[in-house]
Amino acid sequence: MKHLTALRPATKIALAVMAALALLPFVSEDYVLSNWRDVMLLALFALSLDLFWGRTGILSFGHATFFGLGAYGMAITTTRFGIDPAWASLAGLGMGVGLATVVAALVGYFMIYGGVRGAYFTIVTLAMTIVAHNVAVGWSSVTGGDSGLIGVAPFQVPGVIFASPVQSFALVLTVLALCLSGALRMMNGRAGLVLAAIRDSEIKAETLGYRTSLILLATFVASAAMAALAGALYATGTGFVAPDMIALLLSTEVIIWVAVGGSGSLIGAVIGTVVVWHLQQKVSSVSIAAWPIAIGSFFILLVLVFPKGLPDFVMTQFRRARPGQGGGK
Amino acid sequence: MTGLMTADLTLDRACRSFGTYHAVTDVSLTFAAGEMTCIIGPNGAGKSTLLNLMCGTLPLSSGRITLGGMSIDGMSRDRIARLGIARKFQVPTVFESLSITENLRVAAGKAADADWLAGVLAMVNLTADAGLRAGTLPHGKKQWLEIGMALAMRPRILLLDEPTAGLSVDETLATANLLRGLQGRVSVIVIEHDMGFVRELGARTVVLHHGRIIAAGPFSAIEQDDTVRDIYLGRR
Repeated sequence: MKHLTALRPATKIALAVMAALALLPFVSEDYVLSNWRDVMLLALFALSLDLFWGRTGILSFGHATFFGLGAYGMAITTTRFGIDPAWASLAGLGMGVGLATVVAALVGYFMIYGGVRGAYFTIVTLAMTIVAHNVAVGWSSVTGGDSGLIGVAPFQVPGVIFASPVQSFALVLTVLALCLSGALRMMNGRAGLVLAAIRDSEIKAETLGYRTSLILLATFVASAAMAALAGALYATGTGFVAPDMIALLLSTEVIIWVAVGGSGSLIGAVIGTVVVWHLQQKVSSVSIAAWPIAIGSFFILLVLVFPKGLPDFVMTQFRRARPGQGGGK
Repeated sequence: MTGLMTADLTLDRACRSFGTYHAVTDVSLTFAAGEMTCIIGPNGAGKSTLLNLMCGTLPLSSGRITLGGMSIDGMSRDRIARLGIARKFQVPTVFESLSITENLRVAAGKAADADWLAGVLAMVNLTADAGLRAGTLPHGKKQWLEIGMALAMRPRILLLDEPTAGLSVDETLATANLLRGLQGRVSVIVIEHDMGFVRELGARTVVLHHGRIIAAGPFSAIEQDDTVRDIYLGRR
């Protein structure tokens, strides 16, 4: 990775963040640890969005659909089919990730090969999330409707049940670390280079011989599968699923987590999630109604003032404020 | 640069119309392996349409286009590129957020080895700038980088759409030198406006007018051709 020295700090930060998280079980109580487990899963969800949005420049409003499919796939499979508990979690994981993969491949195929890009892609994926939400609410015989499903067992594989907060925390930390290192490796290598090229000029990449639609579709599907993995594990942690896990607000929130951390860096998505989640706790403790307002205002600012994300905006302002550093003004 | 020396690109009565407008009519041309061809003509002569037919951006209305005997009409852009037809756009198109080396690595694909890339960098005179972001390059260097990207693909055929647009006189001469150096290794097809540059290349020249070929031959002969002088050179 000598050629992409610019990305190496991100890898160092990623290692530091993972090391810090790994120390938590030694200093935190069970309740705090369970919270962190959920935050890490939301961070994995944000990472999945950044894998697609950050690298292709195409914003998906549909990632809550994939997170939700993962969660519902897990919940429905484990609570309704009477599968041997030793295998139920794995079956649920397969179902959740499989569903998301199929949906992403189908929807993605028609959009990406149909030439849908940019804002149109965002709008279609937004509609997809609304449809998915309505299915989750309306198909109550399967999904439990508005109240969702309860009684999702902790994650287990034959021989090991990740029941205690420390165990489930360790499981999630491992999954997050593996996904993060895999994503960083991929994006620091050839795949990341080609995706950046497609983002800069898709037609040029095509005239160099790249099957750009296939590459974009593969990235979209991989990203959706990772979102579903986060959703499925989330359901085993909280023990229930509800329609707000497959809703537009969640799609908006995950975009904001990534934007706060700076899209494209991957580790930024993880940090952004942690920062925003803690802010949410603070703001919501003042007033529950304040949070949606805050997040909505932030979203408007995001679109109008810093479309490239918060870190990029801060760096630009910083450079401008220092004379002789060439801010252009 | 390997490439099958027997392979050539052939247009057989190629036509392309847009509605009732005939942009390219009955163009038959053969581009032999390793040969250079300049395609000239006044604005609206159908030069760009012809180029778009050869790289998969536009399908033919009628006629045939073959590469080494295989029809490539209607093939996708990426497939045609993988068959060895490289294209440089009229407006320099490079990956702006990537460095020059990264641009070449993307262009060279999986076969990119360091020696090859260093050779291409030297050929297009960008060795000293290798680490710079392509978006920060001046226009002339972007043109050269794009030519370098096309060469990095090890193409059989190199299509260049106005490679000297916006270049200084010196840069134009240097580009002509670079392209002449490729003769015998790659088929180069150049679309140009700049007569000085075409004269410098001294290659087989095809004159298009209203979508038809009105003259073809060595540039020295074309320059003396009365019809060509009337419709094209005379206007300059």
